[in-house]
Amino acid sequence: MNNLIKFCFALFVLCVSAAASAQVNIEINTPGVSALKQSMQTRHAQLAEFYANGAVGLTSDGMVALRDANTVPLAARQKVNGLVAAENQDRKSLYAEIARANAHPEWEGDIRNTFAQRWIQRAQAGWWVQSGGGWSKK
Amino acid sequence: MFNKTIIYTINRLLNGCLFGLLSFCPLFLSAPLYAVQITLNVADVAAPSFAARGIKVILAQEGSAEFSIDELHMAEKIWRKVHVHCSEFLLSSARVTCHKGKLDAIPDLPFTFSYEFASQRLELRLTAEANELWQVNADFRAQPWRATVLLRNAQGKRLASLLPPNGPLPTQGALNGTLVVHGDKAGVSQINADLRLTDLAVADMSGLHAAEKLQGTLHVDAARTGQTWSWRGALDWQGGELFWQPLYLRGGHTLRASGQWDNTQLKVTQAVVNLPGVGKVEMQALWDVKKSNLLEGRLVGENLSLANGFADYAKPFLEKSALSATELKGFVDVDWHYRDGATQALLIKLRDVAVVDGEKRFALHGINADIPWHAQVQSMAHVAFADGELMGLPLGATQWQIQMRGNNFILPTATLPILDGKLEVNDFYLHNINDTWQWNFSSTLTSISMQKLSTALHWPEMHGSLSGSIPKVSYQDKLLKVDGTLLFRVFDGTVLANHLELFDPFGRAPRLSGNLDMRELDLDLLTRTFSFGNIQGRIDLGVNNLELVNWLPVRFDAKLASSPGKYRKKISQKAVENISSLGGAGGVAALQRSFLRIFENFGYERIGLSCALHNDICTMSGVEENGNAYTIVKGGGIPAITVMGYNRKVDWSELITRLKRVLQDNKAVIK
Repeated sequence: MNNLIKFCFALFVLCVSAAASAQVNIEINTPGVSALKQSMQTRHAQLAEFYANGAVGLTSDGMVALRDANTVPLAARQKVNGLVAAENQDRKSLYAEIARANAHPEWEGDIRNTFAQRWIQRAQAGWWVQSGGGWSKK
Repeated sequence: MFNKTIIYTINRLLNGCLFGLLSFCPLFLSAPLYAVQITLNVADVAAPSFAARGIKVILAQEGSAEFSIDELHMAEKIWRKVHVHCSEFLLSSARVTCHKGKLDAIPDLPFTFSYEFASQRLELRLTAEANELWQVNADFRAQPWRATVLLRNAQGKRLASLLPPNGPLPTQGALNGTLVVHGDKAGVSQINADLRLTDLAVADMSGLHAAEKLQGTLHVDAARTGQTWSWRGALDWQGGELFWQPLYLRGGHTLRASGQWDNTQLKVTQAVVNLPGVGKVEMQALWDVKKSNLLEGRLVGENLSLANGFADYAKPFLEKSALSATELKGFVDVDWHYRDGATQALLIKLRDVAVVDGEKRFALHGINADIPWHAQVQSMAHVAFADGELMGLPLGATQWQIQMRGNNFILPTATLPILDGKLEVNDFYLHNINDTWQWNFSSTLTSISMQKLSTALHWPEMHGSLSGSIPKVSYQDKLLKVDGTLLFRVFDGTVLANHLELFDPFGRAPRLSGNLDMRELDLDLLTRTFSFGNIQGRIDLGVNNLELVNWLPVRFDAKLASSPGKYRKKISQKAVENISSLGGAGGVAALQRSFLRIFENFGYERIGLSCALHNDICTMSGVEENGNAYTIVKGGGIPAITVMGYNRKVDWSELITRLKRVLQDNKAVIK
């Protein structure tokens, strides 16, 4: 009986350690990840000026948002809208693709959170980032 | 004189207000008589839609007056610490006047005020620099009473404090014109407004609702009968720009409208909007004011230009859809009926319409259609187009009859010409479940020339044909599924494709999965097509668990082997070299290397290679295992050659780079 308990305990420890060692590779590269990153990189050249003037900010859930359109000429606001929508679509696809490439689609939420922190950490000084529901200038 | 005036004032206040607590404190200061000053403290004054607290009036002997109000409620607005100074204040039994008055909140807009008690005439003039004038004249004794507001170069930004703070507020621009209001005991009974806007700018906090340099005129006539207002208006928006998330519009619009309003409902009996570059649209509407929703609506437009109409008024709402990069041309008639919270009918006629995707994923030209859709009644739509393109594949002219009933659309039979073949569609069924569109159909693909197909898709030129019978194609939640088998006849062999699934076909990274079973492909045709050096013989290739993302392989289990049967088996020196170079340094070696330079072609017994691709690594094996090595080409005949592989794990990206280099080099040799 003791042996059975020891065996069960050992099995439990093994499962826990196996689960703990399962780590997500957020740097994983697949054609999907590559296509999405390429698309986002191309768009970044257009979005950069709107990050810098505060029109667009980085949200705490790993997306971008139009936070103050007043800094953008009226005729360009629709374009910023389009850029934000396309960027968010790519970001959502990227998180899903990385989770799927790691063979754990259910990790999408955690990957999104990790990226959210990363984007905000790597944001340039002067960009607007969201934390605790409010916006602050980095 | 003083006593008389003060008593009169108290009477006026008590008469005019429902509630008031007046404390009267004439203070005779210790100063000499010539510096006498009177202070009146009025605690509260209240009336319907008006209340004031903490009123203090100081009357100085030289004729000036100071009025201060701690809190003023008027027209659902609150002002605190209101302070008015009158340089010349006169209060008599006949009139009250304030000359050179100044309100603290608008110090740059001095005013003059007078009110005659007997005639009940009021005049208020506010003037400022740049010829700015806000003038109110009212005659309360007339029946009906009348008030006129005259605006001349009136700065719009002064209205900001009167408007809801969360909405767009004016920041620049001027108003000119008149506003005439008539009324009786029941309140305002008639309004006539004639206004001209000049360079008006408005913006809300987020900038999502804003306008700049607005130019235009507004004319409104409204009259009340009982509780119902009848109104008629005309708006001529001549210039400037407007961003009203997500719409961006420029001047040139006009609106003529008339209707009724009765506190609960706003009825637009007729409205005509001229949309620049689009056409004229007529509208009718019934709006529930309290619930802020549309009860009934109708919109009719004929011969509207889709080029501007779609780009300006529809596309901004489609940013998240596959149509976000689409451009439309042509003309449309539209008749839309809305009632009971839903569209009841939508009648659309398209004339010579073109739909072109900006990312070149699809296009249709010469569309003519008559689509009389009704929510409750079955009807038939007729759709025809001249030509088109889908994922680079040219589509030919066709016409369809579509049965429609509510959110169900059925196309019993249809033909979609593709290159020199056609897709015969049966029982196409499109329907909406829980706000999600899904469709399915069965079809037969009649023979399409592989030569035409490969040219259209910019592939190396292939010969043969593509055909297939597809029991069911379905699309739901971004997933396109093909149940059944597609048959390609290429390279004198057959390719069967089954279990095909395509996820997010119009997304940034579409994902295709399925299995391919290729039989008896002619290696001679194959190697010539791909400029690989000649190999003669036949192969079978099975690719299971294939997964392409963005049309690039990320996973598969592929196995290539010489087909069973008797046929000529030769491999050229060039092909051997190319196979060797694919393996990289030391990766592949051709045995009997010394013969290479002597003979052009070699015999072989079997070719075999398998690759299990996972995580960008291809795990390889061949026709025979030789310890750590494996045989790719097993020699046979005279002269024979055997090609061995030594690397079991090959980097897939590197392999593709090498293959491209080989094909490129070989092309260069051919040239």
